[in-house]
Amino acid sequence: MRILIFLLIATAIGIFYVWSFYDIKLVYDSFENAFFKFAIILVAFFTFIVIFRYISFIFFSITKTAQKTASFNLVNKNFRPKVSIIVPAYNEDVTIATSIKSLVTQTYNNLEIIIMDDGSKDNTYKIAKKFEGNFNGKTIKVLTKKNGGKSRALNFAIERSSGEFIMCVDADSKLEIDAVALMVRYFKDPEIAAVAGSVFVSNRVNTLTKLQALEYIEGLNMVRNGQAFLKLVNIIPGPIGMFRKTDIMEVGGYAHDTFAEDADLTLKLIEKNRKIDFEPEAVAYTEAPDELLDLLKQRYRWTRGILQAIRKHSHNLFSFKNFNFTFVLWYMLFEAIFWPFMDLFASMLLIYISFSQGVNTLLIYWWLLFSIVDVSGALYCILITNETKSLSFYAILYRLYFIGIVNIAKIFATIEEWFQIEMSWGKLERKGI
Amino acid sequence: MNFIAFLSFSVLVIIILTLVFGIVAYFLYKMRERQRRKGSDIITYEELKEEDGRKYLFFDEVHLR
Repeated sequence: MRILIFLLIATAIGIFYVWSFYDIKLVYDSFENAFFKFAIILVAFFTFIVIFRYISFIFFSITKTAQKTASFNLVNKNFRPKVSIIVPAYNEDVTIATSIKSLVTQTYNNLEIIIMDDGSKDNTYKIAKKFEGNFNGKTIKVLTKKNGGKSRALNFAIERSSGEFIMCVDADSKLEIDAVALMVRYFKDPEIAAVAGSVFVSNRVNTLTKLQALEYIEGLNMVRNGQAFLKLVNIIPGPIGMFRKTDIMEVGGYAHDTFAEDADLTLKLIEKNRKIDFEPEAVAYTEAPDELLDLLKQRYRWTRGILQAIRKHSHNLFSFKNFNFTFVLWYMLFEAIFWPFMDLFASMLLIYISFSQGVNTLLIYWWLLFSIVDVSGALYCILITNETKSLSFYAILYRLYFIGIVNIAKIFATIEEWFQIEMSWGKLERKGI
Repeated sequence: MNFIAFLSFSVLVIIILTLVFGIVAYFLYKMRERQRRKGSDIITYEELKEEDGRKYLFFDEVHLR
C-alpha cells in the first residue's frame, strides 16, 4: 500500500516537473543574456535536486519502516540494560515537574533519571528536588552546578551517571510512556552508537505552531526515518536521543564551542564510523515557538550552530577517506546554506522575469510543483503517524509563507556566521503547554 | 486575465510580500535581542557578590555618583 502511494506521488511529481519544464524552456529561449540563461538552468537543476531529495526520503522512509518491522521480530526481549535519562534544565520551573512525571511513567523500569540543574535563577532546583528518590524501581537524582551552558551540564551529568546507555531529553520534553523501551532495543546491535526519536509539537495554538507541527513530521521525522535506512541520521534531536555511554566518552562528550552541541556530537560519532538509527514510534512532545520572532531566534541559533559544527569538521569536506562522513557534511551544507540561498535566488529570478516580461505562468507551476511535493509528503507522514489530517492543508501555506521567512533568517545567520559576529545562547521562554 | 495568470500574479505578490516581511521580521528580532541584552546588563547586588566570591562588596566613590 505504502509503495503504491509512493509510486503515485513520484509519478505525479515527475509529470508535473516535465510539464513545467516546457514553461522553463520558453523563458530560457526568451533571454539573450548568458547570465540569465545560466540562472534559469541553475534554478531548474536546484528544483530537480530538491524534488529528488523529497522522493528519495519518502522511498527510504518506506523501506526503512519495512526493514524495521522485519528485523525486530528477532530481537531478544531479555535485553534490558540500565538507562540513565539526563534532563539538563536552566530556568525551567514552568515545565520541569511535567517533564519528570512523563519520565517516571516510562514502561521501561531499569532507569536512572538525572535532573541536571545548570545554575538556574528560578525555582527549577527546588521543584525538581521534591521528586528525588525511588519511584517504581526508577531512581531520580537531582544535581546542580554553577551555570555553564547546556553542553557542560550534560557532560557533568553523564560523568556521574551509572547507566550503560544515556538518554538526553530537553526539560520541556514530554515523552510517550514506551519511548525508552522502544529505543533501547536498537543497542543490541553493537555497531549502533545512538538512536534518535520522533519529535512532535505539543502546543498547536496558532497557525505558526501548526506549520511547525507539519515541519516536524515532514521535514524532520520523515527525513530522519529516511536517513536511518543508511544508519546515518545526522542530528540527534535535543528533545529525545539515546546514546551508548562508551561512545560518548570516546568522542569526548558534548563540545562547548558550538551552539548545536547535538549536531556536533552526532558528527563526531559518524566520523568514528559509528551507526546512528531512528525510532519513529519513540515520541517526545516539545513546545515550539508560538511567536514569529521567537521562531526566527530558534532558527538563527540552529543555523549558526550547525555551521559551527560543520566548520569544526570542514577538513573532511574534501577528504573521502570516510565517504559516509563526507556525504553527511555535504548534505548538511546543502540544507543549511545552498537550499536557502537557492530558494531566495529562484524567488528573485522569478520576480525579475515577471517585471521584465510580465507575470509568467512559470510562477504558478513552480509553486504548485513544490506544493504537490509538500502536500504529498505531509499526507504520507500524516497517514503513517496518525496525525490530524487537517494538518495537510497547512502544506499550502508552508512553502509560500513559512519556508520563505525561515530561509531569510537562515541566510542572515549564515552571513553573520561567515563574518563571525558574536552571538549569545538566547534561551526560549517556555509556557508549559 | 485567465485563471492561471491570475494565480501566477497572486503567487508573485505573495512571494514579494513574504520576502519583505521576512527581512523586516529578521531586523525586528535583532532589535529585540539588542534591547534584551541591554536589559540583562543590569546585575543585582547578590549576583555581583556571588561572582566576586567575597562577603562584602566595596565601591569606589566614583561608582556611587
